[in-house]
Amino acid sequence: MLPAPGIISPGLPGTPISTMDTPLLDRLFAYVESAHGRSLRGLNEAREQEPRRFAQVAELYLQWLVEARGESGIDAATDAFAQFSTDVNMAQARYERDGAYANKSFEEVYKDHYSDAEAMDGYLWGIYLTNFLWAHHFQIMMFFQDRFMSRLEKDAHLIEIAPGHGGWGAWALAHLPGASLEGYDISPQSIQIANAVAKAAGVDGRAKYVEKDALDLEKVQAESANACICSFLVEHLENPQHLYKVIHHLLKPGGTAFITGALTAAQVDHIYEYRYESELVMMCEKAGLRVLETLSANPMRTLPKAKFMPRSMALLVQKRRNEIY
Amino acid sequence: MSETLARLNEVFQDVFEDEELSVQAETSAKDIDDWDSLMHVNLILAVESAFDVRFTSTEVAGLKDAGELLALIEKKQA
Repeated sequence: MLPAPGIISPGLPGTPISTMDTPLLDRLFAYVESAHGRSLRGLNEAREQEPRRFAQVAELYLQWLVEARGESGIDAATDAFAQFSTDVNMAQARYERDGAYANKSFEEVYKDHYSDAEAMDGYLWGIYLTNFLWAHHFQIMMFFQDRFMSRLEKDAHLIEIAPGHGGWGAWALAHLPGASLEGYDISPQSIQIANAVAKAAGVDGRAKYVEKDALDLEKVQAESANACICSFLVEHLENPQHLYKVIHHLLKPGGTAFITGALTAAQVDHIYEYRYESELVMMCEKAGLRVLETLSANPMRTLPKAKFMPRSMALLVQKRRNEIY
Repeated sequence: MSETLARLNEVFQDVFEDEELSVQAETSAKDIDDWDSLMHVNLILAVESAFDVRFTSTEVAGLKDAGELLALIEKKQA
């Protein structure tokens, strides 16, 4: 039986980490050790940053995973995570050699990756686990909770652009009892998985996921959201500036958004190469969004003699009320 | 030791900067402390260069030991 939405079962504040009950996380680590030993070092780096919070986040995410995919879900998603991590590392190594991302157009990426339903399933569940199994993404997850979610009213209406696996939205709704969320994604597999995760988290009554191109959202729903979530989409676009305008369009004046993007971080489907954090900041400002806080996080290890440091950046932004703030 | 395994051993020694390293078919990450997911990719690129072959990430993600890598090299060269 899963805990009620919003309740994190493993351990209360003050509970020694050694006595926390994390059976699913223990199982994941045991499986990684037996089947993907080369990944163990990275997982330990993620856990050692903040063991208690890591355990809490991981166990809840894994409970949802098992509820959505059954008992074998952990092993299958871990296999997908290991494959995804290898894909990323290989892409980064080729980027180091070539000095540019391999893909230049969205059409190319869609044909090679997004149109393959089976591959997309593994891709999305693999990314779901990176939210806490990659050390720098766990930092982003904590930023999401501590800096973005803490600002939201309990009955906030959120719009999530490209929810992917749906983990961000489910996390927000599970912690904001009266909140609601609309999510829009171009991928049918994403809609399916995001719905399954919402159901597993017990928040499906407050989450609605629709198959729709995020860039088309500018035509509808002006100023309908108290807050937006847009995680790791900007680097997948040919012209990301348009997406920031969409976020501005959707937000009520004063509304906030959590936006993340990848910099000098290759992936099989990354197109737009951000090199500096200021580029994301400038795109936000140009679209009428005030940048309140940022976090730029990077992996603890890189390829030997790397020219590029892959970073993930999170921005907490607010729709400006006038020209200045 | 086959010629391919001998060459692969040199690549391992170079990548992990250990001239004493003696790679066997059953050598895995458990035997080489630094053989983590990132160094695995570094190793794969060095193998590609040494043997003039190219791998996909799907081919290399699940390799369990040096023997499986050796078999993959020989398959590519066949």
